[in-house]
Amino acid sequence: MSALHPFSLLAIAAALPAFAWILPAPAGGLATALIAMGLTLTPGARSGSTSAGLTPRWRPGLVTFRTALVIAAPFWLFLRLLHDVPTTVAMGLRITTMVASCVWLVAVLSPDRLVEAMVARGWSLAVAYLFAATLSAVPVLKARARRIVEAQRCRGLSPRGSVANRLRALRALALPLVLSALHEVDERTLALETRGLGMGVRRTPLAAPLDRTAERVARWTLLLLCLAALIRRLA
Amino acid sequence: MSVRLLALIPVAVAISLALSAAVDAVALPLFLDTTGTILATALAGPAVGVAVGVLTSAVNTLRNPTFSPFVVVQIIVALYAGLAARAGLFRSLRTAIPAGLGLGVIASLTSTPISYFVFGCTTTGGIALTTALGKALGLPPLGACFFGSFISDFGDKAVTFALVAAVLHALPRRTAARFPLALRAMGAT
Repeated sequence: MSALHPFSLLAIAAALPAFAWILPAPAGGLATALIAMGLTLTPGARSGSTSAGLTPRWRPGLVTFRTALVIAAPFWLFLRLLHDVPTTVAMGLRITTMVASCVWLVAVLSPDRLVEAMVARGWSLAVAYLFAATLSAVPVLKARARRIVEAQRCRGLSPRGSVANRLRALRALALPLVLSALHEVDERTLALETRGLGMGVRRTPLAAPLDRTAERVARWTLLLLCLAALIRRLA
Repeated sequence: MSVRLLALIPVAVAISLALSAAVDAVALPLFLDTTGTILATALAGPAVGVAVGVLTSAVNTLRNPTFSPFVVVQIIVALYAGLAARAGLFRSLRTAIPAGLGLGVIASLTSTPISYFVFGCTTTGGIALTTALGKALGLPPLGACFFGSFISDFGDKAVTFALVAAVLHALPRRTAARFPLALRAMGAT
């Protein structure tokens, strides 16, 4: 699956939830949820790329499957708390489809391949930069946030007690993080200008993913099927 | 868009997502997941804020796909913060907190229909529980859903606005002046 063109993976992950919401419940939702959960078991999912933890002994596909289950399960519980059984089943299957499709997408889609595909398709380098830089900046800043929390605790900051005390502690934790991040903008600006990002020239992708005709046809077919199902549902 | 503003966007998205560590440490019922959107808007205007909001939603979606429909809320937050920045409402906590409370109401009104029609009001554990509380109090389903969103958004946006005002005032004047809207948002021009 991970050998598919990134746009094909995106199209599948977008089409399944769309079908889940368009097709009549609960049969439509059940079919899409089964397909989406089935996808999480396909080979190609990378271990460690999902958000709900890892079990190294398990096959990566099973980790992806388990991640989808862990994310979707609370929704069923809360739906049952708020709604009757038919509504719970209908909404639960749709949400499960959405969760499983996205978890599968995260597991099989390599951000590097997506950026290369975007550049090859003529997207601006700035858009590709935004996507790649964000994905790399988030873990760096999260790690820094944890270090700041530990450092402030070592200096005697107490994040417990009254709400006012906690808000003061929050300020002491958040300000150094945000200010240090903003000072980084200067360094990033200089680095980007040095690499010619401001010149607006088109970049040549080094290893653009192969986009087969069959995949392009399949993507258009998915889009047309979605539109046809929507028109039929609304008619 | 200038290279500086382009460099600001990923940093602002990362700020929104990294602040969860600080929130966890103080154990307050806050999200602060719009901090980067509001900060980027106050520094560089609503267009940059919208880009930060959309990208924050996209990255959040990779963690939990149910965040994706709430991209609309991020866009509304950026537009509202743009108006607040132009009006200089980040000049002090006395002006920033009421502006944040106003955003809390608007954000709840925006997120309620999404939460209700797409997820049956079960977006996150906390909101689902406050919605159940609203239902137990006898509110109709949509009213209970608004109640749940309102409880979570009202205080969160006020704290976020206060935090952004504190950040803007803590920035060295020379650094702030490098961003097109920062001094105006602080009421310094």
